[in-house]
Amino acid sequence: MGVKREAVVRGGDEKNGADEAVESAWRGALRAEGEEARPARKGGARGEPAGVRRARTRPRTRTLLAGWGLVGWGVVVAAFVFLVGSGWAAWRDDPGVQGPSGGRAAVLQAAERHIATLNSMDGAHVDAGLRGWLDATTGALHTQLRGDEASNRRKIGASGTDADARVTGAAVTSLDEAAGKAEVIAAVQVRLTLRGGEPTMQRKRFAAELVRTPQGWKLAALASVPVGAR
Amino acid sequence: MRRVLRLYRPFAVAVGLVLVGLVLHPVADRVRGDERPAFDDVAAAEVTGAVSRGLVAVFSYEAGDVAATERAAAEVLQGPALRQYRVLFGQVKRQAPGQRVTLVTRVVRAGVVSLVGADARVLVFLDQTATRAGEPVGTPAAAQLVVTARRVQGRWTIQELRAV
Repeated sequence: MGVKREAVVRGGDEKNGADEAVESAWRGALRAEGEEARPARKGGARGEPAGVRRARTRPRTRTLLAGWGLVGWGVVVAAFVFLVGSGWAAWRDDPGVQGPSGGRAAVLQAAERHIATLNSMDGAHVDAGLRGWLDATTGALHTQLRGDEASNRRKIGASGTDADARVTGAAVTSLDEAAGKAEVIAAVQVRLTLRGGEPTMQRKRFAAELVRTPQGWKLAALASVPVGAR
Repeated sequence: MRRVLRLYRPFAVAVGLVLVGLVLHPVADRVRGDERPAFDDVAAAEVTGAVSRGLVAVFSYEAGDVAATERAAAEVLQGPALRQYRVLFGQVKRQAPGQRVTLVTRVVRAGVVSLVGADARVLVFLDQTATRAGEPVGTPAAAQLVVTARRVQGRWTIQELRAV
């Protein structure tokens, strides 16, 4: 009975770790020993004569925990841990959870958003725009943008640039999920307005490198793909 | 005998748990192995290759031999893409021999936008260079296309072309 109650209580706890499972199983086994030791069992399920039952009480206790019994329950615990571990590994890695293209879709979504950000600038909110550039990047590109921040602010202020970019097409060209690295190509349309001027539409094309960070995929490099390059 | 059986009970439970685990292991491996790498690499490489070759064939022509380009188009293009192309190529066919223009199209980059079963969309960066006979090679121009492709009887064909 002790074993059963323990298992129910533990089972209800969602955050029950493998260590706790082991501990609980052991405690359950130990408690079982105490209860089995009590001679006044209301058994009779097997329809044995009372005398036989009484005579069996001691040896039964020993077989449950002593000698091979101890090893037996140890093996149960080990098997349970193995099962929980395997189940956890399978669940965490299950492609059905994210879908086979889940990783790709995440890269593409991040790339589209960040490439649009780096090609956009609201002339009325330059500080917010520059902060957005830093938030969208990591690694070398982030370092470079941080270093150029003051001069970029001056240039944007002087030209009165206002740019609104839209990614019209993007594709993941390479993805290494284990290393957390990806390459993306993207076609971009930018509606560019200089101070007092008429807006012009520009088409651009980029190759980008993304790196997975704790805050999601971010741009580590962004280069325009030139025309006529070999 | 009973004692021996009782002794086996914990072992039986343990063996049961291990068996369940062992049965689940290969199942999980197969699910993972099947769906993950096969999706991207093989089919994606196939469709980008086919679309790239197709675009180069239909968007390149020599002044003296527009018929070869037209044949390529009939092979590679289908549906809306073929109708679109015929309208455009009608003008080229009339003008190219007179102007003696050669068009060379080169694929700079290509990647799969989406790929589900036999339907794919591919983003392609092109450089196109038009040159008149007897003149220096022209300046290349950039073009970016999103191509809708479909696999028909094992062969990828271009269904739609959209400049982006």
